[in-house]
Amino acid sequence: MSETKPPLVEHLFRHQYGKMVAALTRIFGPSNLETIEDAVQDTFMKAMVAWREGIPENPEGWLMTAAKNRAIDLFRKLTADEKRVLKMDSGTSAIALGEVFLESEIEDAQLRMIFMACHPSLNPRDQIAFALKTISGFSSKEIASALLLKEETVKKRLVRARKSIAALDLEFKIPQGTDLPPRLNRVLEVLYLIFNEGFHSGKKEILVRKELCGEAMRFCQMLLKNPFTKTSEAHALFGLMCFHSARLEGKISADNEIIDLKNQDRSKWFGPLVILGNEAMNKAVEKGKYSTYHFEAAIAAEHLKAKTFEETDWNQIHNYYHQLHELQPTVFNLLNIAFVKMQLGKLSEAFEILMTFHPKDLEQRAYLYYGTIAEYHILKNEKSKAINSLDEALKLVKNEAEKTYLKRKKEKINESM
Amino acid sequence: MLIFVGTSYEAMDLSPEEMQARFGNWFKWQQKMEADGVVLKGGHALHSGKRHVSGPDRKITDRTLTDSTSAEVKELVGGYYIVSAKDIEEATEIAQGYPDYDIGGTVEIREVMVFNG
Repeated sequence: MSETKPPLVEHLFRHQYGKMVAALTRIFGPSNLETIEDAVQDTFMKAMVAWREGIPENPEGWLMTAAKNRAIDLFRKLTADEKRVLKMDSGTSAIALGEVFLESEIEDAQLRMIFMACHPSLNPRDQIAFALKTISGFSSKEIASALLLKEETVKKRLVRARKSIAALDLEFKIPQGTDLPPRLNRVLEVLYLIFNEGFHSGKKEILVRKELCGEAMRFCQMLLKNPFTKTSEAHALFGLMCFHSARLEGKISADNEIIDLKNQDRSKWFGPLVILGNEAMNKAVEKGKYSTYHFEAAIAAEHLKAKTFEETDWNQIHNYYHQLHELQPTVFNLLNIAFVKMQLGKLSEAFEILMTFHPKDLEQRAYLYYGTIAEYHILKNEKSKAINSLDEALKLVKNEAEKTYLKRKKEKINESM
Repeated sequence: MLIFVGTSYEAMDLSPEEMQARFGNWFKWQQKMEADGVVLKGGHALHSGKRHVSGPDRKITDRTLTDSTSAEVKELVGGYYIVSAKDIEEATEIAQGYPDYDIGGTVEIREVMVFNG
């Protein structure tokens, strides 16, 4: 008997949750989401007790059937209670009930759910929470923990999103024609945000970070399976996520402390993800039209290529950052360009760039500005100025791991004085 | 007989991920008991809704029926297993594997009376 092997495929319930909610939403319509989610939740409750003595041969099928029946039960009860008629989703998008549960149709339904979660009329802050709930089956508590929010806040966001969807009577479909590109752009942005929440999370636990990154990548893969949504940008975003994820393990030490790029153990970087990223990038460049994701991926790839920090091709990275900045000027790009110039020994150019904007422009990441200024002073061997800048950064930084990182840096300078 | 008292998943807002983990623990315990050959009669889970019948009268119509679905969770019997053990200590040992202690569950161990007819 294999006691070490878990009885079910990893994340089966989580992934199945999203599939079931999406398939049932296709039948009953998005305005019934709450009832649908209750039905799916009840189904898992039932399964976790009913399966103790034996797991059905086809757990996915068992769950799907049970959820469908439970949903029908709940709707019967609702309509009886409220004397209202259930409005089934109909019209051209309606398909035969049996077909809704075909694997290909479930994938289609999940894509519809992604587009709905990222609908421009939803509050941007609600979009991420809603996507994590309905597609990833995260509980409010898990969302709160992953996004460093209060559970109450998450619950409010979820209620607000559901209400907006019902009030606006949002269609559960993949946008078509000229509607598609802007909507797809927003989807990619939201996935990018979810990924970044994981990658730059203030959470020390590597698990939470990995899960957010993993979910963003899973959503992205859903886009890449559909002929209309597998665009160059989507491929590039996926490549970017692969490259960043490959470094995730190397970014955190055994003591849960952040390790900067310079000091990461590059042997810990995860090769298979680099290969997957390269494959995605090959597809991403086929059309010869580049997005910000392309350049960000290219920069990440340059870091991965270098066997040591010293071997990094800063000229190439400098070049990519400039192209990225031309495409979409942001203060973050300027900050990065300044950092790269310092690596190239162009200290005064770096300083000039840093003087063109204000730390406040970086909002909650203003500490990065002072961190970069500190780096400049370190390179110029102006130790007390470097310490002053680090103190400014420490005043603003909220994330514990980053705070520790800055303190360490300060200690090191103090020791060398 | 191991009687499981006091956990109701319903009220806990478990995520699918957590439910899968809990299920995995139960499944492992079940498998272990089967491998050890201690399960006499596989368990049953019980619904949380319950009905009380009480009243002294002999006429059925006079008895009181109470439905209670929102019973005190602490006293709620959620299920049972019948296991084979040579004494109460051994049964207690088996009950160590119960996976829901961390969420406030308890196991009541009762010896089943055997009548030799």
